[in-house]
Parts: sequence; structure tokens; C-alpha cells
Amino acid sequence: MRKYSFTLNNEPVVVKAPPAYTLLEVLRNVLNLTGTKDGCGKGECGACTVLINGKAVNACLMIMEQVEGSDVTTIEGLATDPLGSVVVRAFEKEGAIQCGYCTPGMIVSSTAFLSRNSKPNIEETKEFLRGNLCRCTGYSKIVKAVIEASRG
Amino acid sequence: MESVQIQQASKKDFDVVGKKVVRAGAVLAVLGKPSYTADIATGDLVYVKAVRSSCVHATIESIDTSRAKLLPGVLAILTSKDIPGVNDAGSILSDRPLLAEKVVRHYGEAVAIVVAETHQAAEEAAMLMDIAYTPLPSVTNPNDALKPDAPLVQERSNLVKHMKIRKGDVERGFSQSDLVVENTFKTEFVDGLPLETEAAYSYLEPSGRIACVCSMQNPFDVYGKVVKILGFEKAKLRMIQATTGGGFGPKSDETPIDVAAYACLATLKTGKPALAQFTRDEAMIIQCKRHPFIIKNRTGVTNDGRLLAWQSELIADTGAYVSKGHLVLGRAVFHCTGPYEVPNVKADGYCVLTNNTIAGSTRGFGSPQVHFAAEVQMDLIAERLEMDPVVFRAKNILRPGTRTLTNQRIEDPGLDMCFRKAVALSDWYHKRKQYEQHNKGTSRLKKGIGIALLYHGNTLGPESGDFATVHIAITPDGKALVETGLTDFGTGGMTSLLMVAAEVLGLPYEDVRMSRPDTGRVSDSGPTVASRVTVIGGRATFEAAEIIKNRLSRVAAERLACSESSLIFRAGNVYSNDKPERRITFRDLVVEAADRNVELKSVGYYLAPTTNWDEETGQGSPYNQYTFGAVVADVEVDTETGFIRVGQLTPVYDAGKVINPLGLLAVCEGGSIMGTGYGIMEKIVTSEGVIMNPNLHTYWIPTILDCPEIINSSTVESAGQIGIFGAKSIGEIPIVLPAAAIANAISWATGVKIREIPMTPDKILAAIMNVK
Ligand code: FES
Ligand code: FES
Repeated sequence: MRKYSFTLNNEPVVVKAPPAYTLLEVLRNVLNLTGTKDGCGKGECGACTVLINGKAVNACLMIMEQVEGSDVTTIEGLATDPLGSVVVRAFEKEGAIQCGYCTPGMIVSSTAFLSRNSKPNIEETKEFLRGNLCRCTGYSKIVKAVIEASRG
Repeated sequence: MESVQIQQASKKDFDVVGKKVVRAGAVLAVLGKPSYTADIATGDLVYVKAVRSSCVHATIESIDTSRAKLLPGVLAILTSKDIPGVNDAGSILSDRPLLAEKVVRHYGEAVAIVVAETHQAAEEAAMLMDIAYTPLPSVTNPNDALKPDAPLVQERSNLVKHMKIRKGDVERGFSQSDLVVENTFKTEFVDGLPLETEAAYSYLEPSGRIACVCSMQNPFDVYGKVVKILGFEKAKLRMIQATTGGGFGPKSDETPIDVAAYACLATLKTGKPALAQFTRDEAMIIQCKRHPFIIKNRTGVTNDGRLLAWQSELIADTGAYVSKGHLVLGRAVFHCTGPYEVPNVKADGYCVLTNNTIAGSTRGFGSPQVHFAAEVQMDLIAERLEMDPVVFRAKNILRPGTRTLTNQRIEDPGLDMCFRKAVALSDWYHKRKQYEQHNKGTSRLKKGIGIALLYHGNTLGPESGDFATVHIAITPDGKALVETGLTDFGTGGMTSLLMVAAEVLGLPYEDVRMSRPDTGRVSDSGPTVASRVTVIGGRATFEAAEIIKNRLSRVAAERLACSESSLIFRAGNVYSNDKPERRITFRDLVVEAADRNVELKSVGYYLAPTTNWDEETGQGSPYNQYTFGAVVADVEVDTETGFIRVGQLTPVYDAGKVINPLGLLAVCEGGSIMGTGYGIMEKIVTSEGVIMNPNLHTYWIPTILDCPEIINSSTVESAGQIGIFGAKSIGEIPIVLPAAAIANAISWATGVKIREIPMTPDKILAAIMNVK
């Protein structure tokens, strides 16, 4: 077991985890923050997207050494964040959800995107979300939701 | 038992049904609290991991657990000998053991399970298992498997089922034809690939009962099997559906049985809560796939474009165990001519065992494969006749009074309506001219437009057992609780049921809720497959709601001093149609009814009429009603790279009376993309039975960049014969046509002939080179 300190959803945390644990494993299995999903564990689906220092990354690819000292925001933290909650509302309004398994990752990615690009067009939105897979919706409502969220 | 009458769709105004109901709180529900199986799993968990065969076909000589057992954290290792009940995880036929006994028949078949304190320990121990195999001859090509000297996959013939259609005299039909066109089509194994992999979590309840929470479509199927595997009496197990991250067929098939049984066996052995979840690669290896088909279509037509004869031979590779293969074959054969009237038809379908990955239920269930082959065949014929594909189809489509290949009379004009609307919305004739001009002026980026049509027999039909049960309870606050073992996994089916209940009871949609499907609370509701929730489940919901409404009507009529027949239930109020000032709120009425001890719980049951057809000739009426559809695809082909860009899809479906328009649109959009992936991207690559691409970087599903720019979905409404308020199935159907429509568009744009999917750039490029 090793100790890791970082900031999680604006609170400092110290966790003990076996070495080589990924951030996804720590979030889900150690901290019981289950909003972040595991769709592949290999950086291929985006279901585990979290923000590290404001950047969208796949939590399943981050081993804890890399997380040490950084600022992590998960879907749990984003749902109450001003921009995050706008995105959540837009997903609701557009019905950009079916089974919901991709949704936390989509919302985290979309929020990261909108925090850097407040007036995105469809192409830019698609380009940013290319790593987030959704098997249910066919994506068009997700694109609409992001554009809708950018309008406030 | 109170009897109920279904009202005719067209004659009634609806308050809730057919309106746009937003699933309020849907996003927050998923974000707010743990709801998927692995999220819920808590306590002093143990983890279960299957030990899987590295061989395609082999005898198990010995299983040595000694090294694995020594690993710290390992609690138990179970093989087939340790199964207390029956070693049977086959969903319909009992041909597949949960854990292999003497022989493994496909790559990745489970031989043992390891139970450990951590996930890591379970995985490591699985790798330390020493299993000695002696390879057996294997067969991975279905044509080879049908040869007399082929190795046997199971202790039975490799031919699982031969299905036949014999209508008219096909040889005479060919001899009267001016043109006979023959083509062979091929489709591949693909993975339905729900984003959440199979998962089950089990724990002991204080009563000693095991509760199992599982990601699945059919709680009662899984329950029925796991109870037997555990050797339990029925009351000792309870199966609950967790929020389920996608279904698409695999979660209605056998892998949910596997994970549920793994977890329950671990709980039984250790007394501890247990979690069994597939990794992504494990899911992609084990999850049942869409059947690959080899389809030979031979079609005779007259010079003026009338279909006279159609002969099909279909070979479906079902892998090492049958799963639902025989039923998939049935649906394929019953639709193999596409939605056209052909007087003479002969079809022979074969479902074949091989040592490949198991193929089973996957969204569309045999229909996408045969529609691809039939609809491309139609365009290849039209080209030979030098006829516009729309004009050619119009001469042959199933209209009221025409007969299908099984000689079933079609009653409604849904196909014609879809066809016309799709042609108009896509601006077909204008685009054909415009693109022809465009293509003359360019050598690289060619534009094409193609069409495909479908019919899809509704619900289970020949697959039998087409019933549903729905419970409704009115709570003291005047709201309704709908409970059933039918499930939702992102399909919106449950929303439709709530809408039906709200409609009948005259409640606002918000006042109707649903509980989690739980075999401990409801009676067997039938499986959630074959796009049947709205159509069949809607009928059962209607019945349950009517029973309660009738009971409440007696109380209301007395209280308002009016006749029961004059009562209107609407927007949370009950009033007399004759004297609308006589009214009572639904809530007050419920309080009053409760005071009088009126039972405010009901069970609605609906069983669809049995369908009949002749085994020898396939003639009869295999389905109670048909959904119709048309899809037009606009594509651009880069003739230098072979890359396809699907610019627009125009899907038009006749889903009968639309109950839940937003849900329907969502399913159409999602299915259109999945169907596009099926057409141009997806393929499980196997080499001698070993899956080479069980991951998302070499098995490509559509990303957000692969979507058509425009999906212009719409519906027409031609009432179905049995569905609730005239509804027809839709859930699976949008996957069916994109592949064929895209193939036809590519062929028209470039002159290449496409007979195989997926139409990946390398194949398109090679075909273009060939044409040149
Ligand atoms: S779980 Fe991390 S990318 Fe799929
Ligand atoms: S909503 Fe199911 S994967 Fe996106």
C-alpha cells in the first residue's frame, strides 16, 4: 500500500492504494466515487473521463504516481459546478442520454471543452468528443446538448 | 377477471400517449447515486474471475489448481465438479455448460472460476491455473462444418436446424422469367457491444436468500437458470435488474447467466458478497455475436420488372453453442426476400455449429443480414433491367392484399407510406440527376444515393411465449406504481409503459412511477427481446390500469351520483361527462376507495395470439403484424482512398401508433448509427476460431466523427393489428437497413458491386481498382 495526496473535487485527500493502481480504481474502489465509469480500462472509450488540472483525461490510464499533487475533478464534483450543471441540464433537455453509461464521461469531456471554447461549432465539438464512445444515442443529441449548453 | 377492450388507435384523442415526454431527471438519476451493478456492489466483497480456454477445440486432460490456490487472497477455485445443481447455462437449449466438463469447444470457454479477495488476486490466480489440453480437430468455416466428414463440434450433427420456404413453383417461375440474377452475399461476426460489460453482484440476505443484482435484459431467464445451477428451490434466490448500460441482444442471451451464476456460486461458497464483471476483452470474446451469414440469392424477373421467382440459400454460423441461433435463422428465413411479393419462393436456411465464437441475439436478430442481401440484390437486378431502383421496387412492394413469402396476407399500407415519404424527403429523383452531373465532372469524390426497404415481423411470433405481465399499485398519495419484469436498458420502453398507464388512469405522466425489476416482487413477465415492450407490455399495462380504473369507477359513480359509463379520468381528476361540475380528484377518490377497502393493486396479463405456419413449407402467418420502413442514404466515396462518408440518412418507419415519440426518435438515431457501423466498419476478426481484435482500438464502432451529418428520421402511422393502441415494434429495427442503403449508394456512385459487409476502405478501393 502507498499513500497518495491530491485535490479531489476541491478537497484535499490522502488515499492508500496498492502501487500501480489507476486513478479509476482509486476513485471507484477506494473512495467509492462510482460516477466515473469503466468501459474498457484501456483508454479506448472515454467512460472514465475526469479532469486533471482542468484537462479531460482517461482515469483508467493514469497511475496514481501521475496523479500525486494534482487537482482532480470527477463527475460528482462537476454536477454542482456552475458550468458542469449547465451541461447536465442541456443533456437532460436534449434527451442526450439512453442507457447513461457514457453520460458521466461525456459530461466531463463536454465541460472541459466548453471551459476552453465557449462558442463552439459542430465540427469543433465532434473533434473534441471523438474519444468518448456512445453505443446508444448515435451522438446527434449529444452534439446538440453541447451546443445548447454553450448558449447558456 | 375484468375484461378489457383495446380502443382503436385512430378514434381516440390522447392526453399522454403520443406526446413528447422528457424523461425528467434521467441524467441526474445516473449521476446522482450508484445505479449500475458494479457501482452498487459494496461490503466485504469477493471478486470472481473465469479461467478461460486458450484452445478452440480440445479435451481437458487435467486441471491443476495447486499454484493458483497458494496465491494470497485466493479463497476458492471452482470447476464443473463443484456446481451444486445443474451445469447448464444454455438459454433455450441446454447445450452449453457453465463450466466446461471434458471438452472445450471455443476459444475463451470457461473452465473454472477463481474467487479472491481482490480483483488482482483473482486475475493472477486465473493465470496460474495449469490446465492440460489435448487439441481436437476443429472446424471454423460453416461450409466445411456441413461436410459429412467434418469434425463434430458437439455430440450431435453440426447442422442445428434446416428451415424451409416452399411457395409456388420456383423452377417454373425461373423458366417464365426474362432475366435471372444470382449473387452470393457475406456478412461477418459483429459485437452488439453495450458500453457496460456484463456484471453481477450477489449477497446473502438475512433470511438466507441470495439476492443477485445484474446488468441484463431478462431477469426471469437468468433467475430460472441460476436457481438450477445453484440447485436451489425457487424461493432461495432473487434476481434484480440494475440500471443496465446497454443491451443490444447480448444482455438478453447467455452471458448474464454466466456472471450471475459466478457471483452467486461465490456467495454460496464464501458467504460473502461477490462481484463478477467481464473485462472489455473478455466481453468481446465471450459475448454472443451477430451471426455471420452466407446468402445466395437467385431471382427471376420479367423485363418490365415483376418479380417471379426467388430462391435463397442461407448459412448461419452460430459458433460452438446454439444460443438463439435456430431462432435467428427462423427470422432470417421468414424475411429473406425483403418486403416484396414474389409468387414463387424457395428458401433453405441452415444454422450450423462451428468452433467459432458463439453467435446469438443481437439487435435485429437475423433481419439485418437478409435485408442487406435482398436489398442489394434488388438494386443489382434494377441495374440489369436499366430501371430506377425506386421504380423497380414500386412494382413489387408488399401492399394491402399482397402476400409475403409465407403467403401471409398484408393488411396495412405501412410500407407504401414509408417508401413514398422516404423518396420525397430525400429528394430522390432530383438528387439522382444532380449527383450524376456531379460525378461526370469529378474523378475523385463521387456522390451516390441509395435506398432500401424493410418489413419486420413483430415481437416473438414463431419464437413463442409472447406474453407480458405488468403489476400496478396505486399508492395512498394518489400516484401509480408500475412494476414488471420487463426492463429498460436505454431503450425508453419503460417510458412507453408509464405513458400507457398514465393515459388509462387519467394521471399526469409525473404521477406514474416504476420500480426496479425484481423477480422477488413481480411475476414472470416474459423476456425483453424482439422489440416487444411497448407492443405487448403496453397491452398488459393497459389491462392492469383498466382493472383499477373500473374499480375506482364504481366508487366514483356512487360518490358523484352518475353512471360509471359517463366517467372521464383526466389530468388527475375524475368527472362525469354529462355533468362536469361533478368531479373529484384522483387522489381523493383513491382515499375514498381505500376507506371502502377497494383493492388498488392489479395484475395485467396479455398473451399475443399464437402464430401458425407449416414446418415443411414455411407457409402460414408467422407474425401477428409487421413494422415497415425505408431508408435512403446519401454518401460520398473517395475513389482514391476508398473512404466512405455518409452525408445523410433518411429513415422513415411505420411504427403504427407512436406511443413515445421522443423515445422513438432516440432509438432511430442510435440504431441508424449502429447500422452504419455494421455496414462500413465493424468486424470481429477471427483466425482459426481465435478472436484477434477483442478491444476498441482494433474493433471499430462509430465514434462521434463517423456519424452522418444529417439523420432525417420520420414516421408514418399505419395501425398494427395487436399492438397497444395500434403500436408496432421499433426498438431493433433502425439497425436493419443502413448497410443496404449505403451499399446501393456506393454502387450507384462508383459502379462497384458490393456483396459483402463491412464495406471498409480497403475493400472499396480494391473493388474500384477492379472496375477500372
Ligand atoms: S474506461 Fe477508461 S477509456 Fe474506457
Ligand atoms: S447512452 Fe448508452 S452508451 Fe451512451
